[in-house]
Amino acid sequence: MKGTSAGTARLTRVLLALLALLAAALGYMGVRGLHVQTDSGFKYEGTFQAIYALSGDTAAAWEKLKPAAEKLPEAERGAFDGAVLTLLADAWDTLMGEGAGEEARALASSDGGMACRLLYATCTPYLSNGKLKLAKSARDALTALPQEELPALRSELIRCLTDPEAEVPAALEKAAQGDARGIALAQALFVTAGSEAAAASEAATVIRKEIAASDTALSVKAAVFRMAAEHGISFVWQFIVNHARTVIAAGVLLLLDTVLLALLMFREKRWAFDIKWILILLIADFLLYFLLLPLVYLMIRAFSDNGVFSLERFRHLFENPDNRTALFTTLAAAAATMVLGTLLAFPLAWLVGRTNLYGKKFFRSLFVLTYMVPPYVGAMAWQQLLNPNVGMINRVLRAVFALGDGPGPLNIYTVPGLIWALTTFYYPYAFITISRAMEKMDPSLEEASRISGASPVRTVLRVTLPLMTPSLIAGALLVFVSAASCYGIPSIIAGGTTGMYTVTTRIKEIYSSGQQNLNDATGLAVILMAIALVILFVSDVLLARRQYTTVSGKSVSPAMVDLRRWRVPLTVLVVVFALVVIFLPFWTILSISLKSDMGKSLFAAGNFTLQNWGVIFENATLISLRNSLVFAAIAASVGIVIACVMSHLLQRTRIRGRGIPNFLITLGSGTPSVVIALGLIMTMSGSFGLNIVGTASIIVIAYMIKYLMMGMRTVVSAMSQIHVSLEESSQISGAGWLRTMRRITGPLILPSIAAGWFLIFIPCFYELSMTVLLFSSGTQTIGVQLYQYWSTHSNAVGCAMAFGILAAVAVLNFILGRLTKGKFSI
Amino acid sequence: MATVTIKHVTKSFGTTTVLKDFNETFGDGEFVTLLGPSGCGKTTMLRMIAGFERPTEGEILIDDQVVSGGKTFVPPEKRSVGMVFQSYAVWPHMTVFDNVAYPLTIRKEAKGDIRQKVERVLDVVHLRQYAGRFPNQLSGGQQQRVALARALVAAPKLLLLDEPLSNLDAKLRESMRFEIKEIQKALGITVVYVTHDQTEAMAMSDRIFLINRGEVQQSGTPEEIYNTPANQFVADFLGKVDFFKGEVKDGRILLAGMDGQSIPYDGPLTGRVDVAIRPENLRFRDDGELKGVLEAQYYLGDVDDCRVRVGDVLVRVITGGSKYGKLKTGEKVRLAIRDFMVFADDGSLEQMLEIRT
Repeated sequence: MKGTSAGTARLTRVLLALLALLAAALGYMGVRGLHVQTDSGFKYEGTFQAIYALSGDTAAAWEKLKPAAEKLPEAERGAFDGAVLTLLADAWDTLMGEGAGEEARALASSDGGMACRLLYATCTPYLSNGKLKLAKSARDALTALPQEELPALRSELIRCLTDPEAEVPAALEKAAQGDARGIALAQALFVTAGSEAAAASEAATVIRKEIAASDTALSVKAAVFRMAAEHGISFVWQFIVNHARTVIAAGVLLLLDTVLLALLMFREKRWAFDIKWILILLIADFLLYFLLLPLVYLMIRAFSDNGVFSLERFRHLFENPDNRTALFTTLAAAAATMVLGTLLAFPLAWLVGRTNLYGKKFFRSLFVLTYMVPPYVGAMAWQQLLNPNVGMINRVLRAVFALGDGPGPLNIYTVPGLIWALTTFYYPYAFITISRAMEKMDPSLEEASRISGASPVRTVLRVTLPLMTPSLIAGALLVFVSAASCYGIPSIIAGGTTGMYTVTTRIKEIYSSGQQNLNDATGLAVILMAIALVILFVSDVLLARRQYTTVSGKSVSPAMVDLRRWRVPLTVLVVVFALVVIFLPFWTILSISLKSDMGKSLFAAGNFTLQNWGVIFENATLISLRNSLVFAAIAASVGIVIACVMSHLLQRTRIRGRGIPNFLITLGSGTPSVVIALGLIMTMSGSFGLNIVGTASIIVIAYMIKYLMMGMRTVVSAMSQIHVSLEESSQISGAGWLRTMRRITGPLILPSIAAGWFLIFIPCFYELSMTVLLFSSGTQTIGVQLYQYWSTHSNAVGCAMAFGILAAVAVLNFILGRLTKGKFSI
Repeated sequence: MATVTIKHVTKSFGTTTVLKDFNETFGDGEFVTLLGPSGCGKTTMLRMIAGFERPTEGEILIDDQVVSGGKTFVPPEKRSVGMVFQSYAVWPHMTVFDNVAYPLTIRKEAKGDIRQKVERVLDVVHLRQYAGRFPNQLSGGQQQRVALARALVAAPKLLLLDEPLSNLDAKLRESMRFEIKEIQKALGITVVYVTHDQTEAMAMSDRIFLINRGEVQQSGTPEEIYNTPANQFVADFLGKVDFFKGEVKDGRILLAGMDGQSIPYDGPLTGRVDVAIRPENLRFRDDGELKGVLEAQYYLGDVDDCRVRVGDVLVRVITGGSKYGKLKTGEKVRLAIRDFMVFADDGSLEQMLEIRT
C-alpha cells in the first residue's frame, strides 16, 4: 500500500463494489425497459430520444387540429374514422413494412382521436410542404368553394378514401394520381376543414421542421411510438422504457469502467481514486463508445448472418461487378500513388533538405503547405485541366502536336488520371515524413562515410538511404492508406457518369441509394478498415521499433551537398514541378471562377465576371459557412482540452493505463473517414442508446475522433521539449502545481496549444468525406455545399467556392505559421 | 605517415571569423592537440583538414599535396584520413563488423583481406567478440571504440579525433586516453586531436596548440606551455592559477592589497605586473614570505585544498593530504612561494580571462 491507509483502501473497495452494483442495476432496469418496449406489441424498434423531441409538438399540433376534426358532422364521423384507418394502415405498410398496418389499425380502432393523431404523425411530412403536397391552385380552388358546398365535397372525399376505385373530385384529378391518391385526398380533407386549416398547416410546419432535423422515416416511426408509449405507461417507467438502450449502455460502460479501475488499482496496489484515472477512463469511454463500438459493430455485421459466422455478405459483395472494380481501382490507384509519390518526395526532400538548391526554404514551406489544401480542390482543377474534350492541357497539346479536334490525348476520367490527381495531392505526406527524418539525422554519420572514402552518391546509397528506410516506408504507407481512403478526389474524378468507382465513392453511392444494400457498404468499409489497420500496425509498431534515433548531442547543421553545375538545372526542374503541381491548379480554380464562358480565356473581351462569386454569397453558403466554423471550433476546442490532458498524462506521469486512451486516439486517426462515418451512422441511430444520426453532434464527434491526434501530437511534442527540471525548479522555488502551470509550463507550451487547436480546426473546417455521409438538412458544411454547387450549379460556381475555401485555409495556415514560427509538426 | 602543413588559413562564416591566420606544420608521427574553450575554432580547423569545410583563405597540405586552397579541393573521401566523431557516428543500421569493414569495402578489397583486417583492428580495440552486434546493443564506450576501429582499419596516414572522449564517464575516459595513445605509438600514426579538456591534452600530446578566439595563443610541448605560458590566458587555461596585481620595486614585487607584503623578483619586467601563482607552488612553512590566516580547508584525499587570506586577497594553496587536520581554521600561517610567473600588466587581464567558458 503506497501512500494510502488501510481505512481508505477499504472505503475505496466498498465504493468500487457500489459502483459495480449501480452499473448492474442500470443494466437490469434497461433490459426490463427493453422488454416492455417489445411486449407492447411493436416489432419495429424506434428511438425514444426522437420521440421526446417530437412529443410536445405533436401534442400541440393535435390540439390545433382537433377542432377541425371535430367540426365534422356526426353522420360523417364513422365513415371518416374508417377512411382514416385505411389510410393509416396503408401509410404504415409503406413506411414500416408489410404487417405494420394491421398493428396500427388494431391500436387506433379503439380511439378515433388516437387514429387521427397517428395518421397525422405518420403523414406529417406530406401534409403541408412535403413532396406530395397539393398544388397551390388546387388548394386555392378548394378553399374558394362556398361554405355550403363543402359538406358534399367532404363526403365525396371520404367515399374516395374508403373506396380505392371511386372517381376523385375534378379539382383533385391531377394531384390524386397513383400512389399519391390517398395522401392527396387526406390533405384535401384537412384543407377543407374550414378556418382551422391554416392553424393545422402551421402546426404541421413546426412538426416537419422537427422531423427534418432527424432522419425522416425514423422520426415518423418514433413519433408513432411516442403516442403508443403515452398510452398507459407511468412517467418513471416511461423514462426508463423510452431510454432503455441508453440506460443499458450507461450501465455497461459504468461496469466496464469499474472493472478497469479495479484492475488498475490492483496492479498499482494503490486503492484510492486518482483523478488521473478518472480522466483516463472518461477519455477512454468517449472513444470506446464512439470509435471502438462502431468499428466492432461493422465487423460483426460484415461477418455474421443472423448471428452465425458467415462469409455470405462478402460473397454477395463480390458478385456485384461495381464493387469488384471499386476494390481493384482503389488498391491499384493507391499502390501507384504510393510508388509515384515516394519517388517524387525522396529526391525533393533531399534537394530541399541537403543541398544548396536555390530557394530551398521557400520550396520546403510550399510543399509542406500543400498538405493543408482540401483534396477536392486539386481534383477539381485537374478535372478542368485534363478533361478529354475541353481540358486546357489537352487543347494546348492538340494545338502543339496538331492532333486534330478529337478528344484527348490525356483523359482525367481514367485510372491513370485518378492516380495523377491523387499523387499531386498526397506526395507531401511522404515529403514531410522523409524530410523530417533527414533533418533529424546526425550529419556525422554521413561524414564518417565520406572520410571512409565513399563518394557523396555512394554515401547516399549506403548510409543515408538505409538510415532513412524506416521513415521512407512509413511515408510510403501513409500515402497508400491516405490515397485508398480518400473520398474527395475520386468523388470529383470518378463520378457516377464515368462508371469508375473507388471503395469510398462506392460506399457513399450505396449509402445514398437506400438502406437495403448497406450490407455491401459495410463489407467494403470493413475491407478498407482492415487495410488501414494493418498499415497503422506496421508503421506504428514494427517500423517505430526500427526507427534509428540519430540525434546527436552537438547541434551541427546537416552537411550540405554542393550541386555545382547541377545547381541551376535542378532548381529549374523543381520550379517547373511547383508550377505544374501547385500553381497551375490554383490558377485554374481562380481563373475559372472569374470566367463567364469557361471555354474562353479569362482575358477575352467580356469574359470576366464576378457572377459566380455572387452565387456563393447567397444564404445557403452563409449557413454552411457558419456550420463549418461552429463544428470545427467545437471539435478543436474540446479536442485540444483532451489533447492537453493526454499530454500531461503521457509526458508527466507514469500512471498505469495512460496508454489506453492514447492507443484509441491513434486508432481513430488511422481509421479511414468513411469507415468512421458509416460506423457512427449504423450504431448511433438508437440501437446502442443514442440517436444522434442527422444531428450536428454526430458530425462534431466524427471530427474529433479523426483529428484529435493532430492536436495531441503537437502538444505532446511541445511538452517533451520542456525538460521536467524547468517545472521542478519552479516547484522548488515554492510555486504550487497551478502556479507552475500558469507561470512556467503554460507560457512555454501556449503557442503549441494554439497550433494544436488550428491543426484540428483546419481539416475539420473543410472536411468532406465524413460530412457527406453524416449531414442532413440544416447541418450542411462548406465542403458539402461546394460539392452541391459543383454538381448542381456549374463548375465555375464550384471553383469560386473552392477558391474561397482555399483562401480561408491559407489565412488559417498563416496564423498557424506565425504561432509556431513556421515549425509545426504534422 | 604524414605531415600536415597549414598555410595562413583563415575561416569565416558570413561576417564572423572563427579562425585567424593559422600557420603551422604538424610533423610526421606527431600527436598534436588543438586545445581551447568551446567555440574557439579548433573543431573548424579539424573539419578543414578532413575536408568538410573549406578555408576562406590559405591552403592546407597533407604531405606535399595541396588538399585545400586556391582552386584545388580534394573531397574528404579522397584524403585517406581516419576520423572519430564526438557523437561516435556509428551507423545504427550496420553491425559492428560492417561498420568497421565499411572503409575497406569502399576500396573494394578482397573479402578475405577485409575479414582479416577488421578482426585485427577489433582485437586492438578489444571488441572481437562484439563483431556481430548492432550499435544499440553496445555501451557508449564500446561504440566509441567501434568508431576508433573504423577510423583505423584502412591504416590511414592521418587520424583526426574530434573530442572523442567527451561523452564518456570519467573512469572510462582515462583508460581510453591511454589506449588511444598506445595505439598511436604502436602504429606511429600522425594524430590531430581536438579537445577542451586540458588534462586530456597534457596526458596525450607531443605538442599542444592552445587556441582562443580563433587565434593560436601558444604552441609547444605540454611541459613548455604549462611551465612557461606565453600569456595570462594560457596560464589560466592550463592548470589552476591565482592572479595578483603588483608592482616591481627595488628587486621585489609589491603585491596589491596584501598589507604591503612583497616577494623577491629579479626578472626583466618593471612597473605594473600580474603575478600568477599555481596553488601547488605554495607551501605552509614557518619561514615563508607571506603571512596570512587559514580561512578554509577541504580534504580531497590525495591533496588538501586550502584558502588562506593574505591581506584582502584570498589565496588558494594545495598541499599534500597529510597536512589535513594539523592546521586549524583561523590559525595564523606563513606561506613559502616555490615558483611563480610574472606578466606585464597591460590592463587586459580581466578581458583575457573573461572569455573562458
